[in-house]
Amino acid sequence: MTTPQRKPLLQRLAGTNTLWIALVLLLLIAVFGALRPDAVLTVFTLQTTLVETAVLLVLAVGMTFVIITSGIDLSVGSVLVFSGVTSAMTMNALSGGDATNAGWGVVAVGLLVALVSGAAWGLLNGVLIAKAKIPALIVTLGSFGAALGAGQLISNGSNVSGVPNVLSNNLGTGTTFGVPNLVILAAVITAAGALLLGTTRFGRHTYAIGSNEEAARRVGISVTRHLMTVYLLAGVLAGLAGFMATAYFRVASITGHDTDNLNAIAGVVLGGTSLFGGAGSIVGTIFGVFIPAVLRKGFVIVGVNVYWQPIAVAIVLVAAVWFDQSRRKARDQR
Amino acid sequence: MSTRTVRTLGLVAAAALLAACGSGGQIGDSGGSAPTAVKKMVLIPGVAAEPFYISMECGFREAAKAAGYEVDVQAPAKFDAPLQIPIVTGVLANKPGAVLIAPTDDKALAGPMKQLKDAGVKVVEVDTKLQDTSIAESSISSNNAQGGKKAAETLARLVGDKQGSVLVLNTKAGTSTTDARAKGFEDAIKAFPNLKYLGQQYTDNEPDQAASKVTATLSSDPDLIGVFATNLNTGEGAATGLRNAGKTGAVNLVGFDASPKQVQDLQAGVVQALIAQDPATIGKTGVEQAVAAIEGKEVKRNIETDLVAITKTDAAGSERYFYKQAC
Repeated sequence: MTTPQRKPLLQRLAGTNTLWIALVLLLLIAVFGALRPDAVLTVFTLQTTLVETAVLLVLAVGMTFVIITSGIDLSVGSVLVFSGVTSAMTMNALSGGDATNAGWGVVAVGLLVALVSGAAWGLLNGVLIAKAKIPALIVTLGSFGAALGAGQLISNGSNVSGVPNVLSNNLGTGTTFGVPNLVILAAVITAAGALLLGTTRFGRHTYAIGSNEEAARRVGISVTRHLMTVYLLAGVLAGLAGFMATAYFRVASITGHDTDNLNAIAGVVLGGTSLFGGAGSIVGTIFGVFIPAVLRKGFVIVGVNVYWQPIAVAIVLVAAVWFDQSRRKARDQR
Repeated sequence: MSTRTVRTLGLVAAAALLAACGSGGQIGDSGGSAPTAVKKMVLIPGVAAEPFYISMECGFREAAKAAGYEVDVQAPAKFDAPLQIPIVTGVLANKPGAVLIAPTDDKALAGPMKQLKDAGVKVVEVDTKLQDTSIAESSISSNNAQGGKKAAETLARLVGDKQGSVLVLNTKAGTSTTDARAKGFEDAIKAFPNLKYLGQQYTDNEPDQAASKVTATLSSDPDLIGVFATNLNTGEGAATGLRNAGKTGAVNLVGFDASPKQVQDLQAGVVQALIAQDPATIGKTGVEQAVAAIEGKEVKRNIETDLVAITKTDAAGSERYFYKQAC
C-alpha cells in the first residue's frame, strides 16, 4: 500500500465530509420545499433564514478554530452580551445618553469598543488556557459566567436601548442588491476565516496543534502563542457578533444568549469538525450552522406540532453526526 | 488498641449519639422561637434591576414606610433558585416580621420558605407562587389569564373587521405565567370569527428564535395580521422579525409588560399595544396583607391584581402603569 501525500489527502477528506453534510442540508430544503413550495422556496424565506443565522455563523467561525486546536470556548454567548452592552453604552454616552440619532463616527467608536471588549475576554481566556495551563472547559465556563455578570453589572441588569438608527437601518435591516447587509458581513468574515484556516501557515499550525500539541511544540511551533491568538480571534469575533446582534435587534439584550455557545459548538461539530481536534473546516461549519436553522424554520412553516419541534431537531442533529461518523469509520477500515 | 484510642472513639460515639437523638432536626432550625424583629419587612424579588420588580419595590417601600416598618430589599442577580435560596436563608438570620418573596421556582423554594414560616416570619408571595399553598399567608399576583384575554380583545379592536391569522409567541413550555397568558388569549380570540388562531410557538425565551418563528409564519401564512408576544424577549424578537419582513405596523404586535424600552417602541409604532401589569399595586397589597398577618387580623389568601391594555392613543393617560428603572 502506498501512502498518499499528506496535504492532498487532508484536503480531499475535508471535501468529502463537507459534501455529505451539504447533501443533508439540501435534502432538508428539498423535503420542506416539496411540502410547502409556495412558502419555503421564496426569496423572503431565503433572506430571513440567512439574516437570522448571520450572527451565529460569525460565532461559529471563531469556534471552528478553537475546536480544531482540540479546545472549547463556552464563553462566546456571554462575550457577545458583554460587547453589545459596552458598545451600546459607549455610543449612548457619546451622544448624551441616547444614541438613536447619532452619526457614523459614533457607530465606528461603538464597533471599536465591541471588538476591543471581545478581544479582552478572548485574551484573558487565551492567557489562562495557554500560559496558566488551566483546562479550556473550566476557563471558558468561568468567563461564560463572568462576562455575563460584568455585562449585567455595567448595564445594571437591563437591556440597553438607544442604538443609532444609521447602524440598525444599514447593518441591521438594510440590503444590497437584495442581500441583507448583515449576511454580506457574515459572508466576508466566513470567507476570510476559511482562507486563514485552509491556505495559511496559521491554519496549518492550528491543525497541527490539534492533532498533537507536543509534536507541534517539538517541531518548533510556538504553541502557547498560537493558542492565545486562537482564543483572541474567537473573542474578537464574539465581540463583532455582539455588535451585529445589537444592530439587528436594535437593543443590546442581556438575556436570550444562554445557549449561543452550545448552538455554535453544535454547528461546528455537525459540520464535521472533530471535538478531539486536528480535523475540520469552515465550509463544513457553514452547513452545520444552517441545518438547525433550516429545521426550525421549516418545522414552523409546515406546521409541525410545537412540542415535537425540539425533539425533531434533536433527532436530525444526532442522526446526521451518527451518519457522518459511521461513514468515516467504514472509510477508515477500508 | 490503646486506651486513648478507645476513649476517643467512645467520646466520638457519644457525641454522635447525642447529635442524632438530640433533636432530629433540620439544617436551619431556629431552635425555639426567638423574638422576631417585628417592625421590619424584607422584599425578595425574582431578579435584580428588572423594571417590573423595581416598580414592585417602589410600591413596597412606600406602603411599608407608611405603615411604620423598616424595609430591606434583597434580590438575586439572576432569576434562578440557587441564587435566591442563600438570600432567603440569610434573611432568616435577621428574623424580620414579614418577608415578601417572588419564588423563582415553585418547588425549590418551598424548603427555605418553610424555614421562614417556622421561625415565625410571615411569608407573603408576590408575582410568582409555590405549589405548596400551606406556607404563605397570602399570594398576590397578576391575573395573567385576564391579561391574555385583554390582549385578544385589544388585537381585535386594532384589526377592526379585517380578516387574518393571529399567532401567539410563548416562552418555554411549562412557564405558568406565560402559559396562562397564552391560554387566556386562546379562549378569548374565539369570539372573533374574522381572526384565525394559528396556535402558539415556543421560543425558549430567546429573541432570535422569536424573530425566526414570526418570519416563518409570514411565509406559511401571508395573511398574518396579529401577533401576541407573551413577554419582553418574545416581543423584541417579534418586532425584529416584522421589521426584517417590512411588516412593522401592518401586522399588529401586542406585547406584555411596560418597561421603558417597550413604551418607547409603543410610541414609535413598532408595537401597537402593551398589556401592562400593576407591579406597584402588587407590592403595596403585599405589604397590607403582611401587616394584617403580623397584627393577627384577617388575611386574604389569594389576590389577583388587574392588568391594563395600553395603545398608542391612550398611552398619554396611562403613565402610572409604565414600569420604572428607579423609584
